[in-house]
Amino acid sequence: MPEFVKLVDVTKCTGCRACMVACKNWNDLPAERQEFQGSIQSHKKTTAHTWNVVTYTEYEQEDGSLDWLFRHSACLHCKEAACVKVCPENAIGYTKFGSVVIDSEKCIGCGYCVNNCPFKVVELAEYKDEQNDKTYYKAQKCTLCTNRLEKNMQPACAVTCPTDAIVFGEQEAMLKQAEARLAEIKPLYPNANIYNPPGVGGTHAVYVLPEKPSVFGLPEDPRVPLSATIWKDYAQPIGKALFGVTTMAVIGAFISNSLFRRHENLEQVENEGGSEQ
Amino acid sequence: MSRNRIHSEQQMVRRFTRTFIVTHWLYASSFLALLVTGLPMYTEFFDWLYPVLGGPATARQLHRIFAVVFVVPFLILLVFDRASLKNWLKQILSWKKHDFQFFAAFPKEFFGFHTDMPKQDFFNAGEKLNSILQMFSFLLLILSGVFMWFPKYFPKWLQVWSYPIHDIGFGLAIAVVVGHIYLSIGHPSSRVSIKGMTKGYVPMKYVEEHHGRWADELRRQGK
Repeated sequence: MPEFVKLVDVTKCTGCRACMVACKNWNDLPAERQEFQGSIQSHKKTTAHTWNVVTYTEYEQEDGSLDWLFRHSACLHCKEAACVKVCPENAIGYTKFGSVVIDSEKCIGCGYCVNNCPFKVVELAEYKDEQNDKTYYKAQKCTLCTNRLEKNMQPACAVTCPTDAIVFGEQEAMLKQAEARLAEIKPLYPNANIYNPPGVGGTHAVYVLPEKPSVFGLPEDPRVPLSATIWKDYAQPIGKALFGVTTMAVIGAFISNSLFRRHENLEQVENEGGSEQ
Repeated sequence: MSRNRIHSEQQMVRRFTRTFIVTHWLYASSFLALLVTGLPMYTEFFDWLYPVLGGPATARQLHRIFAVVFVVPFLILLVFDRASLKNWLKQILSWKKHDFQFFAAFPKEFFGFHTDMPKQDFFNAGEKLNSILQMFSFLLLILSGVFMWFPKYFPKWLQVWSYPIHDIGFGLAIAVVVGHIYLSIGHPSSRVSIKGMTKGYVPMKYVEEHHGRWADELRRQGK
């Protein structure tokens, strides 16, 4: 199975928001009203019900001219995803396509993934159980349209994009295309780069960016948080091992005491009672 | 130490006050309740506890309720029995030669063999270490727990670091608890000490065997 990549060429984006509409449409996500953002941008960031948001950045270049930069922002589908690492229920996993998908059945709404995502993509959706009137939460985010991939279709955003700013295909072809595009735009944008951050093992959504990642609200060097590594790779296994050691010691002591103790009892009382330091 | 009066006919010595006993068991039972409500988050091996507890959301709610109960024992001691608290803290912070020698001799005793254990204080070195570990993990658990419970009032990095810290606090606490329980109700040489945590009195014979320095002190005071 080849790995797939969604290539987002920000320089081709016209900010039409067709990807947002296609996403809402295919994934049956409700409209989400938010306060006016102070710009044309519709939502502040991705949410549990809005899995992709086109961001609009007014960026002043060194010569004083203004660039209006658009970016299709959604889950990047990390190869070493922090959300997968911290989920206590194994509810988040990698699919054979390389996408990172949340299993709502297993999700308990603890929010560990929300707090550990280096891109702040995951959020909790609130639901109401109508039978007992209880509220419960489930983490939600872009699935890379995994249910479409399974039917040999491309993600809704990629299919819809009228300027091919979003294209989808096999990883190798996509990365080659990104390199070619980078060479094309470099004369115009000297800061241009390909965003495929190694700190999270690379991503299945790769960007061609005309400016530094931070200009687009992306972390320059995203990583699985150190706290998550300490937590899952050290604290938890060591804690479990420690518990095993003391439990085994107690079991050993129980057996050893019942085997050897009997003859020592009297002697012990006499000796210990009288021993001096 | 006026409370450490020897009951002449049974040769029993007062070890813990009633308040100290109540707080101990309140702490122990809330610890157990927190363990049961938190365990399915710690390892999927215990996910079957979710339906037992009424779902993940209910488990989390119960965990928060027991967390409040978990803090109460300390407050009770602070308000109603500061003498016990003071004595406890003073004892566990005092580490002398005989305390360190304890750990060389303890494994043999633990596994049921004869050993020359140096005379111990009112709390032996093992109890001191257990107390220190419990207090340390208590602080870790409570602090990180507060950060996780009220994310609105704290920066996000505190929240993110609270997960491993809560985990470490739990790991420390649970590791020593197994030994603590065994020594107090299972181990043939020390299980009589449970009486100190139920009735409040322990046999003088036990004091002489396990807390020689305390026994000397009692004798010096002529009690």
